[in-house]
Amino acid sequence: MKLVPTAEMTLGPFFPPEFAAGANDLTQQISGEIIEITGRVTQLDGRPLDNVVIEIWQADPQGRYDNPEFLGWGRAATNADGIYRFKTVKPGAPYINFLILYSGLMRHLQTAMFFDKAPDSVKHGERLVAKKEGPNRYRFDIRLRGEGETPFFDD
Amino acid sequence: MPYAVEPRDPLTQSQGVVAGYAQTAQRWPAQPPAHRAPGPGELSGPARLERRLPLGRADLAGRGAQRALGQLIEIRARVVDEGGVPIPGAMVEIWHCNAAGKYIHPNDANDAPEDPNFYGTARLLAGDSGLATLRTIKPGAYPVPDSGGWWRPPHVHFSVWGRVWLARLVTQMFFPGEPLNDHDAILNAVRDPAARSRCIARLVPQDNVLVYEYQMVVRGRNAAPKMR
Repeated sequence: MKLVPTAEMTLGPFFPPEFAAGANDLTQQISGEIIEITGRVTQLDGRPLDNVVIEIWQADPQGRYDNPEFLGWGRAATNADGIYRFKTVKPGAPYINFLILYSGLMRHLQTAMFFDKAPDSVKHGERLVAKKEGPNRYRFDIRLRGEGETPFFDD
Repeated sequence: MPYAVEPRDPLTQSQGVVAGYAQTAQRWPAQPPAHRAPGPGELSGPARLERRLPLGRADLAGRGAQRALGQLIEIRARVVDEGGVPIPGAMVEIWHCNAAGKYIHPNDANDAPEDPNFYGTARLLAGDSGLATLRTIKPGAYPVPDSGGWWRPPHVHFSVWGRVWLARLVTQMFFPGEPLNDHDAILNAVRDPAARSRCIARLVPQDNVLVYEYQMVVRGRNAAPKMR
């Protein structure tokens, strides 16, 4: 049997607020370097977007994705200023995967935040490197379209 | 070499920029996506996600004096991979509006009544056969603001996870025989008619309830960590 994957569709403007809340802290039951990741999500005209849903997937501090004690998955939603926020541990891997869901985004977008250097093969890969804003604080802005557009990965 | 996770066929997926849906041109990237070979970070995924996302009720319709208004229905949603193999333990999030076309959401300015007995969200786990069952009421249609007469047909939002990160699926389920289906900018953003028709549930009436069966196919047949 070979079934075709179901068509993705937009999240729409009415994603339940209770679904977006309370899932952006990954630091329970894990020891490691605790970090904060924030960023602003904007669209073509530069306007910051609220209620954008961002999901992340990352390795544990040892680089494992299958640590039964650590769930390396989180979800945040942007506020009225377009800002999202995660509290997590620094992974033992070069990047954290980001998935973006939003009203008017007909399919989800895949990107990744790198800590030091993005692969040379990615055009404008420097835009995927987090800015270090202080000890344990990283900034990763996401421009969906237009000037400074974030590179996204095929999915 | 076979793909670890096969690319999606664009014809069976929604277009990024859709005529008549102005926001899509503000939000869909102009640049083509960069290619990457999936690695451990993409071929793994969150298991037992209920550790972070607490499960919710499986009944949005209520009973007796607390029964929500509208036609009682049961949605039997099945989560399978491309091989038709069920994905037990897959998390399924569901949300939809009430029978009058009103969401429980601060963004909904539609002039339609709220229903105090309707609860608009569910979070379930698929059982051993990949099945997640929801008792609810059929949602109503509603107008999209400032769209020149675009009404969303009755639909139910789904968010599901497969076995790996690349299996993520967020979609909408439609109802058969709805005239508004033919004009909906979201359903018709899927160009392949067969793929579109698979987004429409199948009506299987039972003695006491109208049952709608709906199958969601997530990727990841060849990359298969356990969900639980």
